[in-house]
Amino acid sequence: MNPGIGRHVLDGYRVLDFTQVVAGPTATLMLAEMGAEVIKVELAPAGDPGRLGPVRVGERSGYFVQHNRGKKDVCVDPKNPEARTILRDLAAKADVLVQNYAPGVIDRLGLDYETVRAINPKIVMCSMSAFGQTGPLALEPGFDFLGAAYAGVTSMGGEKDGAPYFPMIAIGDVSTGVHAMGAICAALLYRERTGRGQHLDVSLLDTYFHYHEASIETHTLSRGEVRPTRSGLHSWYAVPAGVFRGRDRYIIIIAPLQQHWQKLCAAMGQPELATDPRFATNDDRLRNLDALIETIESWIRSMPSDDDAIAAMREQRVPMAPVLSVEEAVRHPHLRARGTVRTIRDRILGEFDVPGFALRFSDFPEPLTLDAPLMGEHNREVLTGLLGYSEERVRELEARGVLRRGES
Amino acid sequence: MSAANPIHVLEGYKVLDFTQFVAGPTVTLMMAEMGAEVIKIEVAPAGDPSRIWPVQKDGRSGYFVQHNRGKQSLCLDAKSPEGLAILKELASRVDVIVENFAPGVIARLGLGYDVVSKLNPRVVMCSVSAFGQDGPLAQEPGFDWSGAAYAGTLHMIGLPDGQPIVPTIAIGDVSTGVHALGAVACALLYRERTGKGQYVDCALLDSYFHYHEAPVQLQSLSGGAIRPKRMGSHATYTAPAGIFKGRDRYFVIFAQIDHLWAKLCAAMGRPELTNDPRFADNSARVAHLDELAALIEGWIASLPGDDAVMAALREHRVPFAPVLTLEEAMNHPHLRQRGTVRRVRDRMLGEFDVPGFPLRFSEFPRTLELQAPTLGEHNEQVLARHLGYAPAQVRALEAKGVLHRGDR
Repeated sequence: MNPGIGRHVLDGYRVLDFTQVVAGPTATLMLAEMGAEVIKVELAPAGDPGRLGPVRVGERSGYFVQHNRGKKDVCVDPKNPEARTILRDLAAKADVLVQNYAPGVIDRLGLDYETVRAINPKIVMCSMSAFGQTGPLALEPGFDFLGAAYAGVTSMGGEKDGAPYFPMIAIGDVSTGVHAMGAICAALLYRERTGRGQHLDVSLLDTYFHYHEASIETHTLSRGEVRPTRSGLHSWYAVPAGVFRGRDRYIIIIAPLQQHWQKLCAAMGQPELATDPRFATNDDRLRNLDALIETIESWIRSMPSDDDAIAAMREQRVPMAPVLSVEEAVRHPHLRARGTVRTIRDRILGEFDVPGFALRFSDFPEPLTLDAPLMGEHNREVLTGLLGYSEERVRELEARGVLRRGES
Repeated sequence: MSAANPIHVLEGYKVLDFTQFVAGPTVTLMMAEMGAEVIKIEVAPAGDPSRIWPVQKDGRSGYFVQHNRGKQSLCLDAKSPEGLAILKELASRVDVIVENFAPGVIARLGLGYDVVSKLNPRVVMCSVSAFGQDGPLAQEPGFDWSGAAYAGTLHMIGLPDGQPIVPTIAIGDVSTGVHALGAVACALLYRERTGKGQYVDCALLDSYFHYHEAPVQLQSLSGGAIRPKRMGSHATYTAPAGIFKGRDRYFVIFAQIDHLWAKLCAAMGRPELTNDPRFADNSARVAHLDELAALIEGWIASLPGDDAVMAALREHRVPFAPVLTLEEAMNHPHLRQRGTVRRVRDRMLGEFDVPGFPLRFSEFPRTLELQAPTLGEHNEQVLARHLGYAPAQVRALEAKGVLHRGDR
């Protein structure tokens, strides 16, 4: 490849994609956003269960479109031996193979890593799952929040004595996809230097556990004296850091560092609080958390409006943020300016918003325009282009149901 | 680069690391875990502010150790002309530069990408920040949850009529680090093929917004008819999927797909519920969510104990998980066996637990032994090895205060 040529950083890499729903498709969508050729393999008759996700207009799912833009689509009957031959032939031509079936399923498709490696020693194969390919939980069925529960993460969100809450977003699935994408690219770097492929085992549970930026070390180093658990609206170790009630909205304030605490006191017009013995240090503030919350919230309520409180804090450069609803977030000028939220056009669904590509490369400032495939849309293109099948043979395989095509 | 017998996938890559706290150090820690040489630049005299974060013993911070294992520390007065000269020399010799100062700070230090890319056109420079390098919010001070607030993700956790809840773990910081790692690895792949370095801009806000696997699209494609919001302990567009109360603990149960719902009915000994019109399909179950949750919790309460619940669910392969406390998670045999939780030994703090490296490479099944540096520990080593300074020169710079060293 010549400098400056190419659609994006991963132009030229080919990915064989056996993923479904969110976690796996996130990894391959990110690869597609970076210009890789992604060939999604769907298993007939239903294909990716994500095709049933809301919002559906007719048979087309916005959920499926969001997670599968920019991918080519081949749909095969997994029970048919000819289809298995096609899959093996495709594996021979791919740089990367990604799959997120339950452990063992890919083996039954005849594409366990040993077989794949024998076909293509340079391939980077990435297996994604809820609990990993090994260990006592490996064969348990899994979804996003199950990994969170086993990681001790679910126990960290909610009122101290109440039920833990269920985040209405797929934190773990998306992040597992990001972990997988990073692992794949690191393995490709290694392959570029050594010629060796390898197998990657990325799990939701590992991803959730990775989030414990402090809880694990504080618990063990304190010999169990510190027992981190959910603590409602405020951090259990840094003060003030949490959600504060305004008149009409909630506001996040994070001012546990001494310089930020002083700025917050200045913003509140009460600079003397910075040296008040109840609030002088993080430990003092932790001991007097309730009094501190009351002090801050009554200051917010004393202002003519939440916006005035926000403006006062902004002027003093106190780290804070209004808690935006999804509607407010998608309209926010910052998110629009940076393409954090992006309006895409689907040929069936028309225009709608999705999260934009989260990575930004100076050599490729414009995001690619990517279309989500119809089921089996690229049967012909992939088999004739990559495997040298004749058009007639593809039609014949489609007629016999070895290959399938759908309208959405 | 020593590709013959590399210690891990990124061996041979050199990283100049201007990061602090969590988000930035997560990028460089992951690179260190993969064998890269990471030179952490700490600004004299205090270095990374997280060196004072809990748990501390004799001035050594477990928090700092967790996030900085495997890095070399060079501590210098970055504002002195000699300090800046050293940084420029190092910048011209490394493959990657990562920084997470507030936007503009690295440029004011004299090491903006425009300068660095002239010194070293092949360098991949990655900036990690709360809101990104441009856009209306770019200059606002920000910490982890500020990104969640602006992304509308915080809006998605908590009771529908109650306050949004902060999960008291650094989901956003860690995830932003993982995004940045992937971006850096991809930019390196591109460089290996084209010789071109580039600049990568990673933001906490983008990482949080990326979590919207459905809400943005739901709101947008439904024309605002669906307004996703926090819903307490249960999903609202699919059921049953949520957190259920047991006798002594909570369970996450996922049986929202018809075949899983049938399995849950069988586990509950109530197969007839599968065809009950109130629960026959997902939309019926969503419409009768309160009844459904009461029914499931009633079944749980009718069993002799939570273990019996788990046994019944497991026998029928219903996706579920007990909500583990942090201690339970850390002691779970699956997390121990896979190294999801890992015991590290620090030369001062002794042994304690941290999250293990979440990426697994078949070529390198063992994780590396990594030590966190004391402040400026590698001043001499880095300057001698990379810049050819004599020991006497380094001592002279230390005596003049250009370089600093601490004993923790």
